[in-house]
Amino acid sequence: MTPVVKTVNLTKRYGTLVALSNLNLEILPGDCFGFIGPNGAGKTTTMKILATLLQPTWGEARICDYVVGYQSRQIRPLIGYVPDYFGAYEDMVVQEYLEFFAAAYNINGSNRVKLVGDVLELTDLAYKRDAFVDGLSRGMKQRLSIARVLLHDPKLLLLDEPAGNLDPRARIELRELLKTLRGMGKTIIISSHILPELQDLCNTVGIIERGELIYSGPWTDIVKKAKTGTILHVTVADQQVQAGALLAQDPSIESVNSSNGFLEILIKPGVEDYSFVPARLIQAGYRLTMMREEEVNLETAFMRLTKGLVQ
Amino acid sequence: MLGITDYLWRLLPGNPILLRVVEAGGKRRRDLLIRCGYLGLLVFIVLFSLLSSGDQTGQSLSKLAATSASLFQRLSFLQLALVALLSPIFTAGAITQEKDNQTYDILLATPLTNGQIVLGSLLSRIFFVAALLISGVPIFSITQVFGGVAIRSIVLSFLIAAATAFVTGALAMAIAVFKVGTRRTIFSFYLFIVLYLVGIYLLDQLDYFHPFIDSKDISHRGTGWLTGIHPFLALRSVFNDKTYLPPSFGDLPENLKWWPLGFYLSSPASFYVSFMFFLSFVLVAPSIVLLRKLAQSTGTVKTWILQKLRISKGNSTRKPRGVWNNPIAWREAKTKASAARASVTRYGFMTGGIIGAIILVVLHATEIAPAQYISSGSYDAKANTLIVYGSSKPPVVYNVRPETKVVYAKDRPDKTGVDNVETSLGSLTGRLAVETLVTATNDALGLRAVGKRTFISGITVRNISRRLDTLDARQWLLGAVVLEFSVILLIVTNAAASAVTREKEDGTLDLLLTTPITSRYYIWGKLNGLVGFVLPLVAVPVISVLIFVIVDIFRMLSSHGDAFAWVVFPEAILVMPGTLVIVAAFASILGMQMSLRCRTTVMAVMSSIGIVVGACFGLGFCGFNAVSSHQLEAMGLVFGSFSPFTLMTVLLNPWKYATDIYADGANELRNRVVVFAFGWGAVAAYAGIVWAMYKSMVKNFDMTIRKQSR
Repeated sequence: MTPVVKTVNLTKRYGTLVALSNLNLEILPGDCFGFIGPNGAGKTTTMKILATLLQPTWGEARICDYVVGYQSRQIRPLIGYVPDYFGAYEDMVVQEYLEFFAAAYNINGSNRVKLVGDVLELTDLAYKRDAFVDGLSRGMKQRLSIARVLLHDPKLLLLDEPAGNLDPRARIELRELLKTLRGMGKTIIISSHILPELQDLCNTVGIIERGELIYSGPWTDIVKKAKTGTILHVTVADQQVQAGALLAQDPSIESVNSSNGFLEILIKPGVEDYSFVPARLIQAGYRLTMMREEEVNLETAFMRLTKGLVQ
Repeated sequence: MLGITDYLWRLLPGNPILLRVVEAGGKRRRDLLIRCGYLGLLVFIVLFSLLSSGDQTGQSLSKLAATSASLFQRLSFLQLALVALLSPIFTAGAITQEKDNQTYDILLATPLTNGQIVLGSLLSRIFFVAALLISGVPIFSITQVFGGVAIRSIVLSFLIAAATAFVTGALAMAIAVFKVGTRRTIFSFYLFIVLYLVGIYLLDQLDYFHPFIDSKDISHRGTGWLTGIHPFLALRSVFNDKTYLPPSFGDLPENLKWWPLGFYLSSPASFYVSFMFFLSFVLVAPSIVLLRKLAQSTGTVKTWILQKLRISKGNSTRKPRGVWNNPIAWREAKTKASAARASVTRYGFMTGGIIGAIILVVLHATEIAPAQYISSGSYDAKANTLIVYGSSKPPVVYNVRPETKVVYAKDRPDKTGVDNVETSLGSLTGRLAVETLVTATNDALGLRAVGKRTFISGITVRNISRRLDTLDARQWLLGAVVLEFSVILLIVTNAAASAVTREKEDGTLDLLLTTPITSRYYIWGKLNGLVGFVLPLVAVPVISVLIFVIVDIFRMLSSHGDAFAWVVFPEAILVMPGTLVIVAAFASILGMQMSLRCRTTVMAVMSSIGIVVGACFGLGFCGFNAVSSHQLEAMGLVFGSFSPFTLMTVLLNPWKYATDIYADGANELRNRVVVFAFGWGAVAAYAGIVWAMYKSMVKNFDMTIRKQSR
């Protein structure tokens, strides 16, 4: 299957600053790719290169096999770019705003009017068609941005922090809208700092730090990768410190830490069965009140894999 | 006591806002280059004036003094012109810059007092212009070496420039503090300054504003009602120029001696300086008092006024309009033109211009009925009689004799007096007012006749006066066209300069660049929209002139062979549209170039307007010197045609501004052909420049945008 996006050693320099270094990425049709990384990691630079707004210093980026920078004219109808800000024109109402961009994609006549009506319905903005764009709330503006990029039915959506600064309700509405789009078979690249939402939305993720791609692949794999060993959270009714000291003596246990009112027990790699932990505690007369295995999610994986380095 | 000293110290010398700008300003490369350029220009003018002042070996002291005085005049005008050009550029930024950088609220939240914030911002804006003025002092002092210039004149010259810079800055600050300013206000600010400078200067050319005209020599008009409120006129009154001297206080009529009118009329330069500093204080004082109070209010004065005038309803919805297939052109043409205030201004400009032209035509066409007049059929050569009509009396038939003295009092084209031409009754055509009529009876003349007859022994006639005579009509029309053209140029430059930067600031440029729209399509769309927006405005001066030409044609057709003179040459209608459109296109492409290169609208608007005003000023200066030159003759018209404003002048009123070239009536046709041909030659040259700039812009668009993209 031909990837929708493929980058090979993609690099971007601003003077001496390396914003992106040898980025190799492959995103398949229908994928929802979550792009995560600290501020200044190079996410927006990558997005802008893919949106044909920036020229790479070297390396190559392809969209549907067209080379960015050389075949930008062929690429533009295939992409829909939502930047991390809302580009609003003064003195324009919602319908005009969408018609304006539809005309920019050479959609004219009655087809344009119908299309604008359809995307307004899809994004639940039909009742706002006469409202000034400037006066819309942030959540509505974000939905309008999505509506804008749907006008020409692009294959690839590039969404740069679409949920930034949105209130919880607007965020949930946006997430539902993106799920609908994914259901429609769109390939989506989305950057966000709200990792639980990406986990809910994306099937693949890429982690980038200081311009370098640390990981790219299914998010379930990254969680596995981040998992350094089994961690158990245990609480006992009393004498928790002594219970911790007891467990620390066990050769199958790597370390025991006491934090947030529970014991954090790290089992040595290779030890699959940890039923000995409750058995030893009960045998020693401790009253076990809780024991669970720590779940490694995207957020935990991100924290473990990145060092918090910024440029 | 220590508190007051500390307060005053922090108010000005130790003002942190001022210090920041003063410290940073000295290091900026751009500021250094501007300073060097300014001083280089002054040095060049000094050297050029000294070298071109004639024989260097044996000049008398009086000649040297005259050279020095002339040098001082040139330097002073140049200095004032640069201050007038640069002050708005450096101070207009105050209107939005703090808001743009989002430092305004932070400043207000600091313990800085209102006075510190307002004065710090104001003085930091004027600092650069003040530094320029001070750096020019050594060059001005050269004029003192040769004598001929009073120290008082030099001081007044500097004070006029300083007062101009100060009042400009104070106005910009008041606009910013009273929240009547947006990015668009910068343009209105410029427009106001240009209209003020050009408009008052043109009005001063009219005799109505000169109450102290020398009755013996009309060219010595002296200063007028407007001298004391215009920097260039005030400066001119400092130069000891005999044609523009203010009356002494003692010479003023008693009813004009009261304060401050007497001071205003007798010392216009001193009045200008004191009044402008006072006005600056009046503008700044409320800003200091109300700064934080106004910052707390949520609405703006502008919105309030617009809503009160029912120009804007403050609605949050509007019926959508149809978008053209070229969305860029649609946006440029429609959204600019349809904004409430823009519509009012646009239609106001158009109706005002046309109504003004109609009023001029009506005033020019309305004759002031003379007490007595003669017409083409009045003189009967066979019977030797002349019928003299009266406006309120029945016609009277007089006898004339061959020795009857007939004088035709003809107004000079430059309105400096009347030439009395002796002529014969048979050569007079058209209706003419009888100014004097000397009659005698046959008895008194010792002639034998049947009955009593009255003979004319002398008659003086002149053209019938109109409510607005031809010379004034031309001058008013020229003034209106120049003013309209200046406004159009400023509007189009502003619109073009903000075309791309506003997209950058609003964040819409990136969105457009990800669509299939190409740079050629984008720029062409912008230009297309700008032209669509500006064409109705360009039509205003053309229609104004057309109205005069149509009336002239009807006058010519109904003159039945009587003497006829065009108020405006009809070829003006053929040259003007091309010139106006191509110069507007030049301003557009220049504005767009700056808009592409600059990151902010403020910078783009300021620099483009500076360049356009500077170019028009420079070309106009050369053009007017060329057409008024004694030596250049028709070549002066050739050079002058390449300056748009000079071309307008030689098309509409050449007799006044190209007096020497048009003085000899025999060459009028040649001159008109030269102006027509080279007027179109200039259009072709400008078209070439515009095309080259357009091609270069299309070529470099992507590169420039990408360089700025971070």
